[in-house]
This record gives sequence, C-alpha cells and structure tokens, in this order.
Amino acid sequence: MPIRFEKVDFEYSPETPFAFKALTDINLELAMDKMTAIIGATGSGKTTLVQHLNALLLPTAGQVTVLDWQIKAGQKFTKVKDLRHRVGLVFQFAEYQLFEETVLKDVCFGPQNFGVSEEEAVKIARESLKIVGIAESDFEKSPLELSGGQKRRVAIAGILAMKPQILVLDEPTAGLDPQGAENMMELFRKINKENGITVLIVTHNMEHVLQYCDEVVVLEKGQLLMQTDIKTFFENYEYMEKANINPPAIIRFKELLRKNGLEISSDVLDIDSLAKEIAGRYRK
Amino acid sequence: MKNVTLGQYIPLDSFFHKLDPRAKICAMIAILIAVFIPAGFVGYGILAAVLIACILRAKLQFSFVIKAMKPMVMMMIFLTIINVFVIKTGNLLYTLGPVTIYDDALKQTAYIIIRLALMIMTTTLLTATTKPMDMTLGIEDLLKPFEKLGVPTHDIAMMIALALRFIPTLIDEAERILKAQASRGVDFENGSLKEKISAIMSLIVPMFVSCFQRADDLADAMEARGYVVGAKRVRYKQLKFGRGDYIVIIGANLLLALMIFLAYRGTI
Repeated sequence: MPIRFEKVDFEYSPETPFAFKALTDINLELAMDKMTAIIGATGSGKTTLVQHLNALLLPTAGQVTVLDWQIKAGQKFTKVKDLRHRVGLVFQFAEYQLFEETVLKDVCFGPQNFGVSEEEAVKIARESLKIVGIAESDFEKSPLELSGGQKRRVAIAGILAMKPQILVLDEPTAGLDPQGAENMMELFRKINKENGITVLIVTHNMEHVLQYCDEVVVLEKGQLLMQTDIKTFFENYEYMEKANINPPAIIRFKELLRKNGLEISSDVLDIDSLAKEIAGRYRK
Repeated sequence: MKNVTLGQYIPLDSFFHKLDPRAKICAMIAILIAVFIPAGFVGYGILAAVLIACILRAKLQFSFVIKAMKPMVMMMIFLTIINVFVIKTGNLLYTLGPVTIYDDALKQTAYIIIRLALMIMTTTLLTATTKPMDMTLGIEDLLKPFEKLGVPTHDIAMMIALALRFIPTLIDEAERILKAQASRGVDFENGSLKEKISAIMSLIVPMFVSCFQRADDLADAMEARGYVVGAKRVRYKQLKFGRGDYIVIIGANLLLALMIFLAYRGTI
C-alpha cells in the first residue's frame, strides 16, 4: 500500500489570468511506516503536494495513488470520504479549525463525521487527547480558553481521533516555543514508531528533520529536487549550501571539524555520539 | 472560490488602467445613466459598440466579461418569464392555450436584458482596470464636497479600503478552514439538514473568531503606527488628471447626450 505520485502536475486557477503552476512533473514514491520530511523554500509547492494526499486538490495531470485509491487527472474521484478517513491532514495553524463548545466535542467531531457512534467517539477522543498531552481538567473547557500551543494539540488530537493510517502535518510546529515544538516532534515520532502510522511532515526546521525523520523529500519551484534518507541527505554538505538549506548545528560543526582536519564518520548524527567520538580520539 | 469574477481587478497595462480613478468613476456614472435612457435599439447598439471597443482597449478578455455576467443569468431568465406573462400590449404573436405572447413583452424583456448586460460591462470595465485602493482614493476625493455637510468622507474611504483589503484574505481563510474541515470528514455538499447545519457551523465559527482577532490586531497595528480617527492626514499617492482623463469624461458625457437626443427624437 504505497503513496505514489506519477507525472503529477498541478495548476491553480487554470485558464485564467491568475493561472499558477504549483507542481510540475512530480514522480515520487513514499515509504509506508516511515517518518518523511518534506522540505523546500516558501512557495516551493509543499502544501500543494500534501493536499493531494486526501484529494483536497486533484492533479491537473498525472495520477496519485494513496493506499488503495487512485486519483487520476480529469477523472471524478468518488471515494473522497473513505480516503479522508484514512489520511489525516493537519493544516498549518490548525488551531483555527476548532469550533465546538468544548475541547472533547471538537475532537469527537472528526470520528463522528466518519460514522463512529457518539459513545465510541468520546472514548477515542479521550484517548487522543491524552496522547497529545491535554489534561483531563481541560476536556470540558471551550477551545478558545486554551493557549495557542494547547489549541494546536487539540486540533491534532482531532485528526488522530479519526485513526488515520497516514498522518500528514503541514508545519505543525510553526509558531510554537522551542520546548513545545520538541515535545510535539517527540509525539509524532512516538505515533510513527509505536502505532505504525505513516507520518509525512512539512517543515522548515532542519534540526527536526535530522533528529526525528527517516527520509527527506526536497521540493524547489514545484519540482522534485531529491528524495533520500536522512544520512545521505546530511552527508552532502555542498548540496545543502547550494540549495540554500541551513544545515543543523551538529552538521555545521562536523563540517568545520572536517575543514580543520578532523574527519568524523557520517553515522555520527547526534551530540552524544559526536562528543564520544571526539573525546575518544583526544584520549588516543 | 477563486472564481469570483465580479468586481475583480485584473493587473494589466492599458490605457484604461492608467486613467485617474476619479475620471473612470465619473465616466461610469454617465454611461450608467445613458444605459437607462430609453434610446431604442439603435442607442443600445451604439453603447454596446463603444463598450466593446473599450474592453478591447483595456486588453480584457471577453470570456472574463461573460463570466462576470453569469450570476445574472438566473435573474435574466426570471425577468423574461415574468415579462412574458404580465405585459399584454402590442401585437399578439403567439397563443398556446392560456399562454399568450405579445411583441411588447419581448421588446421589454430584450431591453432589460440588454441594459443588465451593458451595466455589467460598464462596471466590470471599471473594477477590472482600477486597483481597489485607487478606487477608494477616487471615491474619497469625489465625496470631498460633502465633507462640509459633516460627512466623515475620510473615515468612510478608510472603511471601504480596509473592507476591500480583507476580501482576498478572508476568501483565503475561508478556503483554508473549508479544507481543514473537509479533511475531518465534513461534507459541505451532501447530507441531511442536521449534518449541513453542523458543516456550516464548522466554517462560520472559526471564521468569526479569526475575523474578530484580525480586526483587533489590525486596530492595534494601526494605532501603533499613529493612526488617529478623525485626525488630519496627508496622502502619499496624489491623483492627477491627464489628457486621457478629460477625453474619457467628455466622451462619456457626449455619449449620454447622444442617448438623450435619440430618446427625445424617438418620442416625437
């Protein structure tokens, strides 16, 4: 059950003076059960790409395959609801989608739309809220009373409660404090590794990509630039510089060490092992 | 939702785009009056020819203007039906049981449809070639004389400008929330009444919340930059009348005079 893009083009407002081609000839196959980062400069088509995954946008050319469903350009796609049930999409600034009177009700909204009974929905909602770390005492509050970070968590719980097989997150940590962002990334990692949910994450934060993700997809001006695993991606320092990607601190540090004559293995990707490596060599 | 054509600015470079908004507004008013003068089919023919020439000159595509007329199609059909049944003067053209059609009815209907089409052409020509901000500047200037009567022209213009400024933002926002809720399984098209209400609520509540928040932030941002309601303000962009502006105003008024002449001749 793959996620596959074949020769996908997407154009906004085609045949008008505002026509804008956001994706050009995307050929891409994403691994299931992994955590994949989608990166690229603003306007490179990241959001447009992920909105194809649950048929919010339909390709203007080519074909998208998600799980058992195929979305072909120019053909009416009828299984929208089934697809959206299996692919949960968390939007940028997801806190703006909250609208129910209480936090719990808002989280129940998603599953109930997909035909889950109220009782069952409440049960799932409670579990989901616990997973994202919302305290029981906040369940009956209005979503508007919560802080920005908490609202975001509630919105994510609202998607998790749908029990998707694929979780797509569009810049989930934008605007959060550093600690809150770390916690949230930990959470996605846990969901991915423990519950076996495929996670796709659109992000600008290279530290997060390095620490939490398995694979990287790089977009530039609506085209696929590269797709590779994390290790290979961060090995190629020159490439990152050329693509205007700001490497994580540890990669920059390793690059400086290399320039000063200390070569470190490309397997070393976190502070602990780097410290051990340097200390080990120093002792010799 | 991006397909709203009525009142949309099309950034091009043409004679009409460069005109002073005040000239365009004045000319539009003159032409709208001309459209409502019963100058007969000859008059409408002349008006339509002039407007088509103007649309060509403004480098606008006809498909765009026709798209702008689409919302009016239902109204045109409705008017046709009413007219056919109500107007019973002139020569009898056709009888089918209780339905009788007279030639006056068809003529009246044709007049109304032509007028609507001409009106839309005129207003589209104005809105498609004038930036919303320039439009408000123009309106503000044209309202200047009423300031002496205590009309807060600047505040009105500012409100219009802000409202216009936020239309695209709010459309984007609505689209985003629509998509977010669709991802959560909301079906905005099908479903029972209860489901439809819940679907609409899931759009309206977040829109309200974000509108109020935006309004609050905007007010703070304006005050932070020293905006005071009712204070005297200078303007960065100065409007200037050029030769083209005089030509357009005089042209529009000559057209109006011609229509009045045709209508007058028609009555005697």
